[in-house]
Amino acid sequence: MPLKLGPISEQVDDLAKTWVDLSLTQKDLLEQAQDCLRTVDREALRFKLQQHMRQQMRFPWLLAMPSYSSPALPTKGLSGSFPAPSLPSDFCVVGTDASCIAPDRHVSVRYYVLNVGYALLTYGSQPDAVLEASSHFCFRDEDLYVFPEELEVPIEGALLGARMEVESLRVLLEVVPDTSKPAVALRDGPLTLWTLQNESDEVQHAVLRDFLDAMAFLRQAGVPLAGYISYTGSRDVANSLRMWLCPGQPGECARCETDNHDLCLALAKIRDRDLFAFLPKGQRSELFGSSSQILERYAEHRVDFFYLNIGQEIVRVEVPRWVASNPDLLALVHAVLCDQCRRSPGFPPYPPALLEAHEQAVVTSSERRLVDEMVEQALGRHGQPIIRSGKDDSKRRRAL
Amino acid sequence: MRIGEIIETMSTGFVAESFELNRPPALGSLVVAHVPANALPVPTAMELYAVVTYGRTVGLDPSRRAVRRSTDNVFDQEIYQEHPELQRTLRTEFGASLVGFITDGLIRQHLPSQPPPLHFSVQTASVEGVRRFTDRLQYLRLLLPAQATSGHGAGGSQVSLLQVLAANVRQVYEQRGKDRAWLDTAAREIATLLKSDHEALLTVLYAIEPVDSHAPSDAGEAA
Repeated sequence: MPLKLGPISEQVDDLAKTWVDLSLTQKDLLEQAQDCLRTVDREALRFKLQQHMRQQMRFPWLLAMPSYSSPALPTKGLSGSFPAPSLPSDFCVVGTDASCIAPDRHVSVRYYVLNVGYALLTYGSQPDAVLEASSHFCFRDEDLYVFPEELEVPIEGALLGARMEVESLRVLLEVVPDTSKPAVALRDGPLTLWTLQNESDEVQHAVLRDFLDAMAFLRQAGVPLAGYISYTGSRDVANSLRMWLCPGQPGECARCETDNHDLCLALAKIRDRDLFAFLPKGQRSELFGSSSQILERYAEHRVDFFYLNIGQEIVRVEVPRWVASNPDLLALVHAVLCDQCRRSPGFPPYPPALLEAHEQAVVTSSERRLVDEMVEQALGRHGQPIIRSGKDDSKRRRAL
Repeated sequence: MRIGEIIETMSTGFVAESFELNRPPALGSLVVAHVPANALPVPTAMELYAVVTYGRTVGLDPSRRAVRRSTDNVFDQEIYQEHPELQRTLRTEFGASLVGFITDGLIRQHLPSQPPPLHFSVQTASVEGVRRFTDRLQYLRLLLPAQATSGHGAGGSQVSLLQVLAANVRQVYEQRGKDRAWLDTAAREIATLLKSDHEALLTVLYAIEPVDSHAPSDAGEAA
């Protein structure tokens, strides 16, 4: 066994000894942070964040922009919470999840496989379920390159991830039921394709085009879309509170001598899921806008988010602005997510529509091998033996 | 009536996936697989008769275990209304031991030369078919030595073959319109088969005694 488990086991032990869960051990700091969340001046914070965003092209942290004041919100603070609205008696939930067999650069022929699993669950007077997958073998230039005419910018890594997101939405469009019943479309993961942030404008535009078109279709169909992020690691709201506390220029913390210095440093370690741990079960936070730069390209589909206590877990839910600004659609997303989690077979809960979509999306290692063999055999039948790199070949042979 | 599809097949029997969740055919009942001429390396069409040896409902994916779903307010059938995906993630299967076949109008009560083809349909045996097939009782012999499909497949049930035999006799007795003469003949046949195992014989005889035979003694106990 090449993996030396002995030394690893000692290091695992070291990890256990030194691991500090801030939410459990530094309750006083967390309480201070939550106090800050309750007392922060919403409009002043909005003004401050907008000012900084105007001044700086790239901001050191992701921030959460508080939504505009409304009668439904407390006059002070960002700690508003909203109970789950009632559910319609009949409704549908469509969940999608995607996985892939990534292209292998050690093989002479280039291809990849996308597999989008989906679950269409109908509740109410005529319960029903459709669990399926949509699989695509991608090998043409338009599949392999963002710019197929020039054979430039191969779709791999982050771009392949983005392609999977686009394909998930495309499948959602196909599956969304053509019925008068209210329906909610769920994606596993964020709607913000932040991995595109480092790509050129042209690439961002090319990849996002289909994604935003799909969102527009859902909007037209009156089907709210939501991205569900379990065990979120986001710190957007905590970062905004740091901005609120910061008297000077964010990022110059070494020279900071204010009274809030300790709280600010604690906020740097606090995740939003801890900050919003006060939310009662089934209740959501107020809405926030994200400062992610890629969202500049989303136009009317710009993503807002809220946190939701689904029982034993605070999750982040991302919705396009046309959902966030429509009280009926927002209420439907909120109510359906609470209901999905109530129906979850596990604890902490997870929406069954996403669980079943994931089960449909998974590509097993034996299926990967099978596709490899199918390609090899098909090429062989056409007199074109597959060429593998020396590295790949030796890893397969493992000769003694 | 088509009730399932063969998902595992062998010379002694098959495993079929039931079309209806939680509703496998009755234990011991006769089911039939119709095999047209030349679907197997056999020139004539065959009706393969088999006795159901077990039924079970499990997760479609063997790596996913069923978990408790009930709450104070939602239980039993309502669970399936609350979780419609269960209709697609669970499956009911049943095993059946081959006990004979009909070909060219002739009833043969021994194993066929070929197992039924995979993915072919399984049907309930018609009342007339049951009557014709069970006029002779040699098929009961196949139920005893067969290592049953009950042992096949992941986690196949371990239904006692004696109980399967008894269940078959009960089913056929009912389907033949409570044919007491047939039941007496079947009991005698079983007595012959199990003459060297008194305990096993009693197990079967107790289990095939018609329910109406219990009535007087039950009434007596109640009095």
